[in-house]
Amino acid sequence: MSKIKGLTKLPAKYIPLAVAMAVIIALLAVLAITKPPAQNVKGQISPALKEAAGTKYSETYYNYICFNAVRGKDLKTAQEETYVGFVGNIFAVPDKSPIAPVVDIFFWLPALIRGSGITISLSIVSVLAGVFASVFLALGKISKVKLLNKTCSAYIFFFRGTPLMMQLYFVYYALPQIHPALTINNKFLAAFLAFALNSAAYCAEIIRAAIQSIDKGQFEASKALGLSYGQTMQLVIIPQSIRRLIPPVANEFIMVLKDASLVSIIALSDLTHTTRSISSSSSSALVYIPAMIIYLIITAFFTFVFNKLEKRFSIYQ
Amino acid sequence: MSLIRTANVCKSFGELTVLKDINMSVEQGEVVCIIGPSGAGKSTFLRSLNQLEKITSGKIFIDEELFLHRENGSTVLRLEQIKYKQLLLEMGMVFQSFNLFPHKTVMENIMLAPVHVKKQSKAEAEKKAGELLAKVGLADKSDEYPARLSGGQQQRVAIARALAMEPKIMLFDEPTSALDPELVGEVLGVMKSLAESGMTMLVVTHEMGFAREVADRVIFMCDGVIAEQGPPEKLFSKPENPRTRQFLNSIL
Ligand SMILES: Nc1ncnc2c1ncn2[C@@H]1O[C@H](COP(=O)(O)OP(=O)(O)O)[C@@H](O)[C@H]1O
Ligand SMILES: [Mg+2]
Repeated sequence: MSKIKGLTKLPAKYIPLAVAMAVIIALLAVLAITKPPAQNVKGQISPALKEAAGTKYSETYYNYICFNAVRGKDLKTAQEETYVGFVGNIFAVPDKSPIAPVVDIFFWLPALIRGSGITISLSIVSVLAGVFASVFLALGKISKVKLLNKTCSAYIFFFRGTPLMMQLYFVYYALPQIHPALTINNKFLAAFLAFALNSAAYCAEIIRAAIQSIDKGQFEASKALGLSYGQTMQLVIIPQSIRRLIPPVANEFIMVLKDASLVSIIALSDLTHTTRSISSSSSSALVYIPAMIIYLIITAFFTFVFNKLEKRFSIYQ
Repeated sequence: MSLIRTANVCKSFGELTVLKDINMSVEQGEVVCIIGPSGAGKSTFLRSLNQLEKITSGKIFIDEELFLHRENGSTVLRLEQIKYKQLLLEMGMVFQSFNLFPHKTVMENIMLAPVHVKKQSKAEAEKKAGELLAKVGLADKSDEYPARLSGGQQQRVAIARALAMEPKIMLFDEPTSALDPELVGEVLGVMKSLAESGMTMLVVTHEMGFAREVADRVIFMCDGVIAEQGPPEKLFSKPENPRTRQFLNSIL
């Protein structure tokens, strides 16, 4: 009954949203259709500029959904011309024009998005690998087997007790000096290794705390029913720990997202590194604004996802 | 034939000696209630039987087989693993705080051990669980999560969960102490019908009415020793030990 009521209610609630979406899509479609063709926009660049630049000429063209833009640049003199195509017209954007900064942002956006991709993918794979490894570290740390316990504790102590930046330097610069076979040429791989090893230590502490927060009665009931230690962990304790794990793991993930900016030191083009390069090549601080907004969007998005996850896992509470 | 027998069982926590030379047995089909003041060692005794606590010294026999023999805190003899596990599973345990698995539904709680320990098929375990739920009067709650049930319902599920492993003897540690008074009756009712169906039971309880009505024998435990035991009518009306008399006076 309540299900049916819920179903009939849904559309009514979403009608304004659907209408707004339809209007926006229609508008975008109109703008997309009326935008001038690429060769017309590109053709606006003056032959004088191209000639003066010769081999040092560079041209960037971006096709956004409702407008397109081209920028031709003489790399010797840093002289440039910018044109934007919009609703059948092509506008020149002079350097001093008030909309020049806005147009600049659109020229930087693709690089910033590529940088964000690296930041996000590095964080996700590192934390995933870290969480996976940390389950074993945590079980090792609460184990009564001395050697296992000591080894895992030492690992956690080491990676939490030394700076992440130093660990990153070590993996990328020091390992090859120890032995050439340890060279990791791929910067992303090196960063992943350092971040995953580090994240494993932090997550292990989170998981250990979550496991130890589970009522001792759960272990006793499992034992009385004949479950082995492994079965108890796998079927009873870890599933219950997961809900308690989500908030601190989310926290760790957001930390890693921001710490990922450290990869600038090995010149991996993440969002921060890209921002710095753009800012120095354009000799303008303007690029920091969209870059920081992108960071905020990313963290807000993942916070939202983790909140949803936590709700999903709390159905039995 | 005794299902459980203990000989000279002692248990200390560090300096504190909680069980002092316990000799007792539970016969097949018998219902034995253990009563006594708080701190007497009743829980520790029950937990020592199914190995939630390690006894310091003494012998435990299950099904007339020497299950475990320990002296001075180290094991002298223990049955080989397969037989040990098998005898251990002859005891089902119901806890004061239910200890249901909160992330599993009622049905999943009951099926978990039969499927993973006894390796029953899911279908078989589910059928059995359904029957047990009907037996404890909760056939309509199989898809609920424990948090949605009252304490009395949760404890009945816990009983069904223990029964699903088909134990020969059920151990109850104050199964109604955590319940609101109006919910005690439904749990005792289930336990009573279980006793009537012939189940061997060892019950630590403060419910004297239940002990008087259902028990074949009542054990009074005090300061880690069995101070007195006998049929309920005798123990309740003509206690011999002054400490039993004092305890009964204090609670009635
Ligand atoms: N794990 C433990 N560590 C130390 N002392 C304990 C532990 N468990 C029980 N005790 C002590 O053993 C005594 C008997 O406890 P218990 O068996 O729970 O008594 P009862 O169930 O009869 O109330 C109490 O004094 C209690 O404090
Ligand atoms: Mg007790």
